[in-house]
Amino acid sequence: MKLEITNLTKNYGEKEVLEKVNFTFESGKIYGLLGRNGAGKTTFFNALNEDIEIDSGKFLLDGKKLTPNEIGYATSTPVVPEFLTGKEFLQFFLDINEDKLDERKEIDYYFDLVKLTKEDQDTLLKEYSHGMKNKMQILINVVANPKVILLDEPLTALDIVVQDDMKKLLKSLKKDHIIIFSTHILELAMDLCDEIVAISNKKLELIEKENLNTKKYKDKIISLLKEEDND
Amino acid sequence: MIKYLSKSFEFDLVYTVNSFLYILKDLPILRDLLTDDIYKDSILKKIVKTFMIIFFIARALFLKFFYFFIIFVGCYELFPNTFVRAYFHVYFVFTIIGMFINNKLLNSSKKKYFSIALFKMDSNKMAKANLLWNQITNLILNSVCILIFGYLLQSPVIYSISLIMFTFFIRLIGEALNIIFYKKYKYIWYSNTRLYGSVLTVLIITLLLPYINIFIPLKAIVILTVITIILGTIAANYLFTLKDYKLIYQKLFSMVNVMNSKNDKDYLKQAMVEVRDKDKAIDNRKIKGKKGYELFNTIFFERHKQILIRSAKKYSLILLGIYIVISYLITYDQNFSLAVSKVLHNNLGWFVIIMYFVNRGAIITQAMFFNCDHAMLNYNFYREPKNLLGLFKKRLLTISKVNLLPALVVGIGNTVLLILCKDYNLLVIISTFLFIIFLSVFFSVHYLVIYYLLQPFNKDLEVKKISYSFITLLTYMASYMAIDVVMNSVKFSMFGLLFTIIYILLALYLIVKLAPKTFKLS
Repeated sequence: MKLEITNLTKNYGEKEVLEKVNFTFESGKIYGLLGRNGAGKTTFFNALNEDIEIDSGKFLLDGKKLTPNEIGYATSTPVVPEFLTGKEFLQFFLDINEDKLDERKEIDYYFDLVKLTKEDQDTLLKEYSHGMKNKMQILINVVANPKVILLDEPLTALDIVVQDDMKKLLKSLKKDHIIIFSTHILELAMDLCDEIVAISNKKLELIEKENLNTKKYKDKIISLLKEEDND
Repeated sequence: MIKYLSKSFEFDLVYTVNSFLYILKDLPILRDLLTDDIYKDSILKKIVKTFMIIFFIARALFLKFFYFFIIFVGCYELFPNTFVRAYFHVYFVFTIIGMFINNKLLNSSKKKYFSIALFKMDSNKMAKANLLWNQITNLILNSVCILIFGYLLQSPVIYSISLIMFTFFIRLIGEALNIIFYKKYKYIWYSNTRLYGSVLTVLIITLLLPYINIFIPLKAIVILTVITIILGTIAANYLFTLKDYKLIYQKLFSMVNVMNSKNDKDYLKQAMVEVRDKDKAIDNRKIKGKKGYELFNTIFFERHKQILIRSAKKYSLILLGIYIVISYLITYDQNFSLAVSKVLHNNLGWFVIIMYFVNRGAIITQAMFFNCDHAMLNYNFYREPKNLLGLFKKRLLTISKVNLLPALVVGIGNTVLLILCKDYNLLVIISTFLFIIFLSVFFSVHYLVIYYLLQPFNKDLEVKKISYSFITLLTYMASYMAIDVVMNSVKFSMFGLLFTIIYILLALYLIVKLAPKTFKLS
């Protein structure tokens, strides 16, 4: 499965955020989208998800126009219906999307995936912590089985144990999905992702993989991201 | 489609029931009685659910009946001689206004966003299911009411049936036009205030025609109904075959739009206290030589000129205009002069509600929290009693000064009116004037004090303390009830002054004692 981005341009008034971006993502890999604050990571995701109008560009999934229904998008600030309990939220979701699921499992099975306890399930989402809301949002996006999964800084608010579980979950999903994961934590990207894509100077750039864990590689990424200051 | 409709209702119901339980759980005594698992399938939840279903049905019936009742009684009172014709005329124009302002399909709401973006509901099915439901329920409710009131009016049944049909089909035309407009211009027409204002003005003028004895002829209503049925059928066909809902909704209900929805009352509050662009740059002369909290306070008030200073000036100008008109009328009309004199001598309570509305205390405390304290209260130095009380004093002084401008207009305005009425003595003038000034200071102190003592807001400006809501409601009710007090103005002013002074002293004492403990993030 391939997601091709052609000529994506997005301006905010005078400010050009993305300029003629061309890139191809493939399934079987987790892509780490790295960029400095304000580089355009969220703009890129919002553009893919049709949450914002773009100035130009095309998104094709295996040659056909990508639709938001094929995307699962976990935003950095999780948006959830606050006056539903976790269980009610998931229940509604499963009821509505029954026909899209391969096999509907018991509700506890899904909650186990993100380690939410029985007590949490009957608590209002309004009372969930930021991390718990994040888990819920990721869960919904995973259950829906979309072809493209966009994750905007989703793991930073989670504790290390859940972070580890989520990493395993994402790794298990990558075979049949295109997963793009934005972060500005370099170590997290290097630990989880198969490819690192830098968003700098309004473009996406694949950073050729050498040995992911060498200091040299880290320095290469940092110097690339720093380049913006020198432009 | 039915599955979507039932899920959509269930979602609405559960959401409302949970919100209600959440409020219950926040009430003083119930807070201790109710456990954390009330959101589970508890008996209480089931009872509340049943109660809500009954409440929703009763409310829908009541509102519809009330709407017809108001038109019926209004026409009877205003046009007793041409009652029946006026009723049909007003209802007809109201229905046309409804076609423009009562659109449901493109209204953005969090619920629609959740349904489409989170629950991944099929937008086409969802839109059509909701449209069908709205049309059917409205048809039933309107038919019942139109037939009942038509019977009371003893008008021929043909007119009632005509109105039922007209109401049903014109809504479809409204929805279709709204979508066609959106597709062409990429915005919902009523978000263009000028366009919206012009259409509403024309319709409101049409509503006033019965005053000059012009009515829409009953026969014309029947003819227009036939035309509406034809156009409505075309509109229905368009709406139920349209496949673009998905695209329209994706654009319209993106997260950014919905979170900033004009229907969201918290968003509205936040938008109200937003710092305006033109206030972002501060004139250097205003801050020259100032430092520390003095500078901090000046910057804050300079950045909020729009909701504070400009708004106080605007109110003052309006009040000035009103006083000029009243002064003019006094000199020309003896009876009017007597009436004004009577109010100024016996009904000073009116000025309590006027000063209540003019005072900017409530909104400025919201701005203080949202744009300043919400962040600053995270720092220990800011919470230190010395700093907290120091800033409180500076804020109180600035707010009182700003509110003094409209108070002076009212105070001086009253003095001028008393002189023009030629019915005054010095004691009345002085006591009334002082009363107005102190009343203004009272409201300034009041809002700031309850803010510092209760700090009721969360980061989204939602009021989280029921005690705050209770006190603000009480303030309004007391101000409103003051209208009914008939008392000699000197006596009333003296009571008012005494009360205000005691209140201010007591409030300031409480601030010194309690604010360092109570003024914190909820």
